[in-house]
Amino acid sequence: MRTYILRRLLQIVPTVLMITLVVFVMMRSVPGDPVVVLLGDAYTEENAVKVREEYALDKPVLVQYGIWLGKLVRGDWGASILSGRPVLSDVLVRLPVTLELIVLSMGIALLIAVPAAIIGALRQNTWADYTATTAAMIGVSIPEFFVGILLLLVFSFSLHGFLPSSGWMYLPGTCPSMVCGVSVWGNLQHVLMPAVALGVGRAAILTRLLRASMLEVIRSEYVTTARAKGLSERPVVFKHALKNALIPTVTVMGLQVGFLIGGAIVVETLFAMPGLGTFGIDAIIARDYQQVQGFALITALAFVVINLIVDLTYTFLDPRIRYA
Amino acid sequence: MKQRPISGGSLSAVELPVGAVRAVPLARPASPLTEALRRLRRSATALVGLGIVAALIGVATFADVLAPRSPTASDQAHTFARPSWDYPLGTDQLGRDMLSRLIHGSRISLAVGVSSVLLALFVGVPLGLVAGYSGGRVDTTVMRLMDLILAFPIYLLAIILMVIFTPTAGLIGTMKVTGAIAIVRIPIYARLVRGSVLSIKEKEYIEACRALGVRTPSILLGHILPNCLAPIIVTTTLGIATSIIVEATLSFLGLGTQPPTPSWGWDLKANVAFIQTYPWLSLFPGLAIFVTVLGFNLFGDGLRDALDPRLK
Repeated sequence: MRTYILRRLLQIVPTVLMITLVVFVMMRSVPGDPVVVLLGDAYTEENAVKVREEYALDKPVLVQYGIWLGKLVRGDWGASILSGRPVLSDVLVRLPVTLELIVLSMGIALLIAVPAAIIGALRQNTWADYTATTAAMIGVSIPEFFVGILLLLVFSFSLHGFLPSSGWMYLPGTCPSMVCGVSVWGNLQHVLMPAVALGVGRAAILTRLLRASMLEVIRSEYVTTARAKGLSERPVVFKHALKNALIPTVTVMGLQVGFLIGGAIVVETLFAMPGLGTFGIDAIIARDYQQVQGFALITALAFVVINLIVDLTYTFLDPRIRYA
Repeated sequence: MKQRPISGGSLSAVELPVGAVRAVPLARPASPLTEALRRLRRSATALVGLGIVAALIGVATFADVLAPRSPTASDQAHTFARPSWDYPLGTDQLGRDMLSRLIHGSRISLAVGVSSVLLALFVGVPLGLVAGYSGGRVDTTVMRLMDLILAFPIYLLAIILMVIFTPTAGLIGTMKVTGAIAIVRIPIYARLVRGSVLSIKEKEYIEACRALGVRTPSILLGHILPNCLAPIIVTTTLGIATSIIVEATLSFLGLGTQPPTPSWGWDLKANVAFIQTYPWLSLFPGLAIFVTVLGFNLFGDGLRDALDPRLK
């Protein structure tokens, strides 16, 4: 097990290198020059040459990537071309916001999906099942930003600002800088709507999947055996059926991470949250190469680490799956 | 290959009481296609989905006739009009008729949704066919490339592609969005088809084809492709739904087709600023996106049940 995790952690390196390299090369082919934006009115050929030299923008793309990588190994994520602020500290300030958003939305998704799928599968073709499947159908068809807008209309505007429509409050202990609003209740108020907006779609996908695999598992012979030997319904459902039915669901949860990161961009934009999503989209649109690299790096890391966690979850769900 | 235990037998044979004679069907069994169409006709969800999709195609096709006004003509005297007889869905900040904008906006959603999936299909399916059938180095090269695209969170890739393409208005702008979404979705079809090809190419009838000297392209197109059509059709229909959401999301982030071309995602983005005073302006485009996606999802679900009853 330990060697497996070690090997997987080593495999993270080429994947992250690949993603950051592709993003690096792609961003350099984006039309428009950040140096022009940076210098603004002070733009002269001389100044531009100086700035390009300072940021190594005059070198070939692969050499630039090498320089970026060399600094990265020493813990230097570079500095924003436009604001001059170090990228790493910006990423660290924004990471807790997005992390909380994603974890909470996944939690909400599971909280809805697991009961809905179990009820749907156990009472197949009853009104409870139809309600669950219809709700799931609606959930997969509704874009995150529309859920967000509906929530805004109800909880921010109709209920007179019961939940704030934008901004952020950090949880105590997660604020990475000296200046940020800290409050448990404030944090909950700020994160609730975005997390629901992001979680609803995931809940729907997971419900459909889990219901289908529950239906399959529940008809299998070992479940019949478990029932025949006199086990009550609860251990049959939770210990025997659910754990096995969860395996494909966990796989899909891992695959959903790509969508979650995109969803975070959308939801953070809608609710004006200072998270990684807004950081990334702003950086990409402003062509702030260094910030985009930082965003790509943290995204790639999150992507591979979460997929590793997914693979490790299998061993818990099905002890026959062993990694050596 | 997996081998079924010989002693296992089929379930229905076991359930037959002793001495019972199984009825032998005299009529020729219906072809899989007729059978699938019959199941499709009986599925309420598929029919509702088909109805929504057909209605939308009608609206998009006859947008010029159906829309009461021009989607881009602004009427400064009637900005932010509430829904009324003159303006059934009200007007936006430039006094443009929302109903006409929604009707014309359906064109972008449908065009991008359908054509991006078709484009991904036309690139991805041949890649999957060739990779799966040839195996070896070709397979490894193609699939590594596909894995590379899949390794990206799809929105990150689509956003960067759109920034590289630089979003514009009109047909060219629509084609850029289509291209960006298609690139992101190619690996889905390549992997799907490759998987099917790997199992189909080991079948006896393919071996028979080869023994008879049938050329590889004919084997691929005439014998292998038809046998993996069912999952391709289902994935395509459901893929259109996803593509429409991705298009709306890109537009919402300001990276889709640019104004003045009417697009639902852009209208939603532009009107969110006025959501507190004129909520319907963002509600209607959102509802339009939702209903469209729902239509394709319902139809796709129905198709899957009809084409592959085992998956139900």
